[in-house]
Parts: sequence; structure tokens; C-alpha cells
Amino acid sequence: MSTLVEVRELTRFFDMGRDQRVHAVEKVSLTIGEKEIVGLVGESGSGKSTFGKTLLGLHDKTSGDVVYRGEVLPSKYSPADFQRLAAKMQMIFQDPYSSLNPRMTVGEIIGEGLRLHSADSIDSVKEQVAEWLRKVGLQPDHMSRYPHEFSGGQRQRIGIARALILEPEFVVCDEPISALDVSVQAQVINLLGELKERMGLTLLFIAHDLSMVRYVSDRMAVMYLGSLVELGKADEVYFDPQHPYTEILVGSNPEPDPNLERSRPSTAIQGEIPSPVNVPAGCRFANRCPKAMDVCRNTTPELIALKDADRLVACHLYS
Amino acid sequence: MSADGEKLNTDAPLLEVENLHVEFDTYGGTVEAVRGVDFTVDQGQTLAIVGESGCGKSVTVQSIMGLIPMPPGRITAGSARLRGHEVLGRNRIDGKEIRGREIGMIFQDPMTSLNPTMSIGAQIAEPLQVHRGYSATDAFAEAVHLLEMSKIPEAAKRARQYPFEFSGGMLQRAMIAMAISCKPSILIADEPTTALDVTIQAQILDLMQDLQKETGMAIILITHDLGVVARMADEVAVMYAGRVVEHGSADDVFYRSAHPYTVGLKEAMPTNDPALQHELKPIEGSPPDLFAPPRGCGYCARCPHAMQVCDEITPSDHFLHDHHFSRCWLHHEQAPIKPETIYFKDAKA
Amino acid sequence: MSELSASSFAPIEAHQQTQVISRPSLSYWQDAWIRLKANKRALVSLYIVIGLLLFTIAGPLVWQVDPAIQDIEQISQPPGTDRGATIVPDYEPWFGTQGLPGSGLRLAEPANSQAVRMQWDALPGANGHRVYRNLFPVGSELAYGIPLAEFLNNDTLYFEDRLDLQPGRFYYSVVALDARGQITDQYQSLTVDLERVTTLQEALERGLIDAADNIQIGDEIELAWHPLGTDYLGRDLLARLMAGARVSLFIGIGAPFLFVLFGVVYGSAAGFMGGRADQLMMRFADFVVALPFLLFMILFKIAFGIGPGESGVFPMLVAMVVLLWPATARLVRGQILQIREQGYISASQLLGANTSYLIMRHMIPNTLGVVLVTVTFAIPSAIFTEAFLSFIGMGVAPPTPSWGSMSNEGIKTMLTTPHELFFPALFISFTVLAFNLLGDGLRDALDARMRNVE
Repeated sequence: MSTLVEVRELTRFFDMGRDQRVHAVEKVSLTIGEKEIVGLVGESGSGKSTFGKTLLGLHDKTSGDVVYRGEVLPSKYSPADFQRLAAKMQMIFQDPYSSLNPRMTVGEIIGEGLRLHSADSIDSVKEQVAEWLRKVGLQPDHMSRYPHEFSGGQRQRIGIARALILEPEFVVCDEPISALDVSVQAQVINLLGELKERMGLTLLFIAHDLSMVRYVSDRMAVMYLGSLVELGKADEVYFDPQHPYTEILVGSNPEPDPNLERSRPSTAIQGEIPSPVNVPAGCRFANRCPKAMDVCRNTTPELIALKDADRLVACHLYS
Repeated sequence: MSADGEKLNTDAPLLEVENLHVEFDTYGGTVEAVRGVDFTVDQGQTLAIVGESGCGKSVTVQSIMGLIPMPPGRITAGSARLRGHEVLGRNRIDGKEIRGREIGMIFQDPMTSLNPTMSIGAQIAEPLQVHRGYSATDAFAEAVHLLEMSKIPEAAKRARQYPFEFSGGMLQRAMIAMAISCKPSILIADEPTTALDVTIQAQILDLMQDLQKETGMAIILITHDLGVVARMADEVAVMYAGRVVEHGSADDVFYRSAHPYTVGLKEAMPTNDPALQHELKPIEGSPPDLFAPPRGCGYCARCPHAMQVCDEITPSDHFLHDHHFSRCWLHHEQAPIKPETIYFKDAKA
Repeated sequence: MSELSASSFAPIEAHQQTQVISRPSLSYWQDAWIRLKANKRALVSLYIVIGLLLFTIAGPLVWQVDPAIQDIEQISQPPGTDRGATIVPDYEPWFGTQGLPGSGLRLAEPANSQAVRMQWDALPGANGHRVYRNLFPVGSELAYGIPLAEFLNNDTLYFEDRLDLQPGRFYYSVVALDARGQITDQYQSLTVDLERVTTLQEALERGLIDAADNIQIGDEIELAWHPLGTDYLGRDLLARLMAGARVSLFIGIGAPFLFVLFGVVYGSAAGFMGGRADQLMMRFADFVVALPFLLFMILFKIAFGIGPGESGVFPMLVAMVVLLWPATARLVRGQILQIREQGYISASQLLGANTSYLIMRHMIPNTLGVVLVTVTFAIPSAIFTEAFLSFIGMGVAPPTPSWGSMSNEGIKTMLTTPHELFFPALFISFTVLAFNLLGDGLRDALDARMRNVE
């Protein structure tokens, strides 16, 4: 499987003035292979959303590179860069309510990509929009309606159609189902899976629902406070976590199985999620880690490979 | 014995809700938000009310608490009895306030549920002063103690701080401290952890269970997350379109599910049990419009096993065993499909 | 429970749960319009505003009276006064009537609006006489009124009053003067009721009668109709209000449009650019807010070379535009900052949209609701500012009518002829109220749409 996207030590800081620097993403490296689904999980402050946006150029890169099919992408995008890459990389957004322009019709929203890129006639654009509406499970005559007339799940479908109409190769899904009801989540997930197969897409699936990420992804990455702490095959990371944080994360994830829950020991984490401003030296998880050692507070652990090259952990327990 | 030292008949349910109907007058017409809800909560027990948005779970508990503004809302039928005393439309029973004293409540978003201009300590002290006549100093001291009980470090210093200085998880703890300050017999938690990260959620749920062991209070937990239900609940009520469609112990509802909606929910969620891996099976369609509620079973339009009668007549309760009941025509003796072929697929116990 | 037949348990036909939406599709504006219509107060205000615009634009076509023409016979007449006038011969000078019967102060002829001719006998001990006229009877305080003429000997014992003769009642007094020409306590009073008259010539000139009509001396004709009365110079109030509306609305709508337009451009630029540029631009806007409005108005007036007593419509407009844009700019900037964070902006960027497309196609349309409400509230404010400025003499000057200047003139005779103040003030109040209520209604209608997410 060839590499589609290679991320090298991607870093993104925000300067909030008065010497407050938010270390949103710190030296994250990741490779994504063609037609792979890589899941990215983390809690608030983990930087997973920022990572996804920086990868696509919506945020400028503070340092680090993103390489797409061997081409190093610019660290600061101009509208011309976006124009050039639009047919290759796209994003599906989190909030179905603010990700669609309330003043545009559904047809205009979905067709925007075509209008900005191709010289297709109005009729041709209309046809393609109708086609896509059908593909995402809506009716072609929904084209003339406005976003507020649709439910959350339907709006996400519209967002999917908008992202995929230019037939990109790589799609970043930024928490696409978090705002939806449980029964609707499954609808959208299945739709995404179906389209992925049909179009041969590569996905970066960002979410905080561990179970869903494990279900959807081939490989899974875990982020904590801007750093990547663990990476590997989704099932392996879930059922055999190596990093203490991943262990606690999985342990805190409630299963819809009363017997299992009753038999689980209480592994609740201590303390609060620290602020990503002015991060401590050393391993960022050290102050909450049940297995912390002295070295953890001084030196930041590197991401190292365990038994096989695909399994990576950033923890002094393994160095 | 309840926390207040009253001798109780532990056989009788603590809270009994019967046939509750709540309506709202809105811009677009009248919405029947709750259409006949029954459930019971026993002493020291946790009842989880599960359902998706719009099923009426929040409106149900808010009407019990008297938090629904009465226009445009209206309780058109039903009763809710706490220790035998009717609670709907009342503010006190036995001379004690219901809201805040007999029943405490915490909400989903702690950021907007707390007054940003009052210190946390003052807000926790308030119910003590109002309901139990504590002096301001005593109430504040008790507030610090309650913050300690809620496992907030440096409680004395924190009590003087303001909500913006707390994180989401800590605010939720502060809310819990406030809700239990008057030692209520029931704590209602309306989606208390939905806005929190999963590790913080685990902390809060642990805290709630610990407090329950200490004080003996009952908990009504409203959530849409079946994992949380499995973790916390003794009893489960599944709601759909304004009604309870299934009610039973956690084991009953999870392992001996007896309603297509419960089964549908389970099949639409990924499980991590290697033995139970399945393709996600979504429930097609969306919940019915409660401006013109269906006359039959509310789930009929989305149910893969719907029959003619489901569309026409509301199914009545069918008791399976003990207190496990389901509202589904498939349990009727004349139903052609045997329930066992649909349900009980994950039967373990 | 009734027995259920076996057919009741037959499975329902696989019904396609189509995602049918039954309610008709409404765009943002259509929905807002429906909400606005439902708001009775706002709807009435809208009608008033439309009526006002019709009044201003189409009014002069219907009521074709020149606002500058003075109807001398009907000065300061409230609406509804009797307009009858008798035709009398043309004026001829009079020098007293010989052998007038009667004694004391008396009229030589019936008094009319052309002339009041009176004669008197010399008062005892008088070395001359002075003639006074008052609107009120001379009481014990000896309030004679305004002096009309003075005679320092007893040779002239007659007087013809032609000053500002409005039909109505006057109280004339003749007071004896002593040897030094000072008035004494000796006086005689006469109550005179004036009748309105006009000559054939004038009637023809004013188009009140045709040459063909057989009008004779002594016939009654009707003078021009002034539905709202006349002002202190005999000008038709209704026509003046229409002309004044033009001035008031030109400024009242023109200025807000201009400064809101500028504010939108400025605010969008600041909001979109963000960072340093945004900070600089907003600090400049703060600076502009601090500038004193009245002072600048005067400065502009001088700069435009307009002297006191001349009309200053343009300086007023310029001053308003230059000083009032920051509020809108701030508002729009706030909106843009909010909108910038919305997902659909990022989505559009990813699809390759450039900056101007984003601003024009995505951001500005979403601020239009707010901008419309701002304009609707800025209008009454501007109208009132103009009225106020004209009222204190800083705006338009006579003879240019504006509601403010008309109010200024009317207040001088508030106690005697209140209608000259009442009508312009009423129009100002109604207009301002209507726009404010309309703005309220618009904001509710548009806001509700924005809040209604599900």
C-alpha cells in the first residue's frame, strides 16, 4: 500500500497575546496509506481537530511538513493553492448547523465546488448535484430547499455531498457524527463507508467516540495535549493499549454491556485535563500518569516502534 | 432509612410516575411531548431513562420538578407521587420544598447552569439557606464540605472562585455538590456527562455512584449513551416519541431486549466485544412529528416488523416477567412472528 | 379490548420512508416577511412608512399647490376656518368721511380685511391722539396693544388701518396725548369684527374665479382651500409639509444609506483582515466616535461657504456621513468575526474560493439582516437630528421648508396659532415612531430566523 499523505513533525501554535502560547499540535508525525482509514482520537485539548485543519491548510503550519504523493505542500496556503488542491483533499465538518450557509440553497451549496472549478454549464451542474443528492440518500428535488429545513443527519449528508462532488482522494472527517443522535450516526457512518469503497477514498477520521473510531478505522492514533502518544492497528490499540493514557481512555469508555461494566475495575483518571497553554516540560501526561517515573518529567518521550514498524508509542516505559 | 432518618416502607417505590401527559403550545401548533409515561424508582436505586432527542425524556423529569413554564406547557394527565404524595403542580410536600430539597437536579451544560457572577461557594450555599434556614456562614462552611465530598481539591479556596475559573468536569462536580446539599432522596441528572470528555465522564459517574452509596439517594439518569446506562443503571426505561416503550432491569433491557427500538439502538452502536461484532445497522428514517402524533405505536414508521395493528392502535403493556414490560404488538399472542426470533439474541443471563 | 382479527397482524407494506418535507420551502427573506406580517405593529408601521414615501413623492402631483405662494388673506389660519370672502371694489385711499354721524370712536364704514376706517372726536384735554390695536380687550391694566399711529395735534381725527388685517376681532383704542406728547389715561375703545374681502382683480389673478363667471361686487366667493391651514406668511401648510418631507427624508434616508454602506465596507474589511489591521481600523473608528457632531456641522458649513441664514443641507449630510459610520462598522465587524468561524467559510476555502468570493457570496449576505435593521433604526435618528438642527437654526434656513424649521417657526406662535407647530411636529413624531417600530419588527422577524436552527 503506497503512502498517500506523509505528515512530518507537524506543529501548530496559536499566540494569544501576553506570552500565552497555545501548543495545539506539537511535532506530530503520521503516514496515511492509500485507501486507508486512519482514526484519530483524543479528548478536549488534544489538538486533533487543529491537526486535521492544519493538514489541509486551513491553519498555517508553524513548522513541519505535509507531503502529498511526494509533493511538499505549502506551509501557508494562498487561494490559488486551495484551488489547485481542492480536487485532491477535502473535509467533512463537525457541526451540521454551522457548516452550511443558511442563505444558500442545498443545490448551491453542493454545486459550489463545481462552479468554482469547472466550466460546466448550469444544467450540467444541476444534473451532477441531483446525482449526488441521490448518492447520499436524499431526493433531487431537495436542491431548491434551504438547510434549516433539514434534520442534523440530513445536513451531514449534504456536507458529504459537497465535499465529495469534486471526487477528492483524501478526506478529513472532523467529528462528522458527534452532533447526531445514535440511530442517525449509524446512517452517516454506513454512508461514508459505502462511498469510501465506491470511490476508493482515503480517510482521516477524527472523533472522540472510541468505539466508533475503532469500528471505522484500519489504524488508530491517539493524541494527548497536542502530541501523538500511540499509533497502530485499530483493534490492537483498543484491546492491547501500550501507552498509559490509552489504557485509561479505553478503560473509561463505557460498554453497552452491564455485566462487563460491573466486572470492570474503576480506572478513572486522576485530575483535570490541563490547559494547552504553557505546557510543562517532559512528557505531557506525566502529572496524571499512574506509572510516571522521574525521567518522564524531564524528557519528552519520542515516538518509537514496538515489535513491528506499524506499532508506535511515545512512552519512556518502552525506551 | 432515608438520609433524613425517616423510616420508610422499602417495598413501596420512592417515586411513581403514572400516565404522564405533557403538551406545549408553540408557534406551529400544539406539541404532545409526553404521551403517557409510566415508571417507578425505588429507594437507593438508579433508573436510567434512555432515548434520543425529542423523545420527551427531559420534559418528563422537568415536569416532575415543576420546571416547565405552565403556559406554554400543560400537564394534561397523569400523576407523579413521591413517597405517596402527589408532586405535580405542587411546590412542597410535608412542608418541605420539592425542588432543591426533596429532589435535586443537575443539567447537561454546567457552564450555562451556574450563575457567572456568584462564587461557587455562594451558589452551593444558597439552597441551604433557602430550604434549611442555615445562616450565611454555616451554609458556606457546609458548601466547602460538600465540595470536598465531590472530590474537588483545595475546596476552601475553590469555593471562593467563580465558574469561569473551573473546568467542565469541576463545574459538574460543583453542580452535584449543590444538588445534594439538602440531602435529597432523589438526584435527577439530565445528560450530566454528554458535554464532558470520556475520562472526565468516568470520574463524574464514579462520584455519583460513591455519593449514592454514602447517602442512599436514588438517581434518575437521563442519557442517550447506552454505555453509560450499562455502567450506572439498575433499572432502565427506554423512551421513544413521548412514551416508555420498554422498562426493566439493566440486564433485562440489554440481554433480553423486548422492543424493536431497543434492539435497533443496540444494533446501531458499535460494540467492542469481539464475540458480538456486527455491522452497524442504522434505524432508517427519523422520529415522528409530535405536532400530529401517530395514533398507533410511535415507532411503527421505522420498525422493520410493523404490522397493520401497529399503525392503528397503541400497544398496551406486555409484561414479560417481574417488572420487565414492553409496549409492542409482537408480544401479542396473535402476532405471526415469534418474539424470540427478534429478541433475546444476546441473551446471556 | 376488542378482539383483533388476524388481518390486523399482517405486516405493513414496506413503506418507503422517503425523506418527504411537507412544508413549502421558504428562503430566509420569505420567512422573515411572513413573520413581519404577523407582527401587527410592525405591519402598521410599514404602511405608515410607505404612506409617507407616497406622500413625499406622489403628494405634490395630487396636491398641486406651490408651497412658496403666499395667500395674504389667509395668514396663520388654522384648518377649517371659513374661507368666504366678499368681493369689494379696488382699494382707494381715504381721508376721512365728512359729516360722519355718531360721536366718539366709531367706524366710518364696515370694517373688512382691505381697510379699517375709523374716526373719533377729540378727547377732552387732548393735544393729540395715539391709535392702538389689540387682539384682546383693554382691561383695567390699560393694555392698549400695538401703537398704529400718532397725531401730535387735534387736526387729524381719523385713521385707516391696513396693517396685517386678518378676519377676526380687534380692539382699537384711541388715547389722548398731553402737551408733551405723552399718553394720558384718557382713552376710548372700539370692538371691531373684520370681514374678509377681496377684489375682483385679485380673485381673477389667483384663479379663484373665471372671467366668464358673472361675479359682481358684493358677491361671496371662496378663497383657496388649505386643508391643514396656513403659516404666518400665508403659505399652505400641506404643500410645505410635502416639500419639507423631501428635505427631511432626503437627509433622513440618504445619510443613513451612505454611512451604513461605508460602515459595511469598513467593518467587513476590518473583520476579515483581523490582526493588526483590524486593531488599527477599529481604533480609528473609536477616534471618529469621539468627535463632536455639532462642532463639525458648523465647521463643514463654514467650509462649504454657507453663511448664517443660508440653507445647509449638504454640510448636514456630509457631517452625518463622516461622523456616524463607526457604529455600523463595529456591528458589521462583529458579525464578520462570528461568521468567519463558521464551518461553511472553511468549506468554501477548501473548495478554492478566493477572498472576494468569500466576502461577497458568503459573509455579506449573512450580515444583511443586521444591516437592514441598523438602517431602519438609523433613519429616524437622522430625521430627528435634521429636525433638531433645523430647529436650532443650524440646518436648512427659510424659505426652504423642512419639518424642523417649520417647527421652529411654529413654536413662536404656539399659543395663538398652535396648528403651525402641531402639524410639522406630528409628522416628525409619526415618522420617527413608524421607523422605530418597523425596525423593531424587522429585527424580531430576522433574528428569529437566525435563531431557528432546527
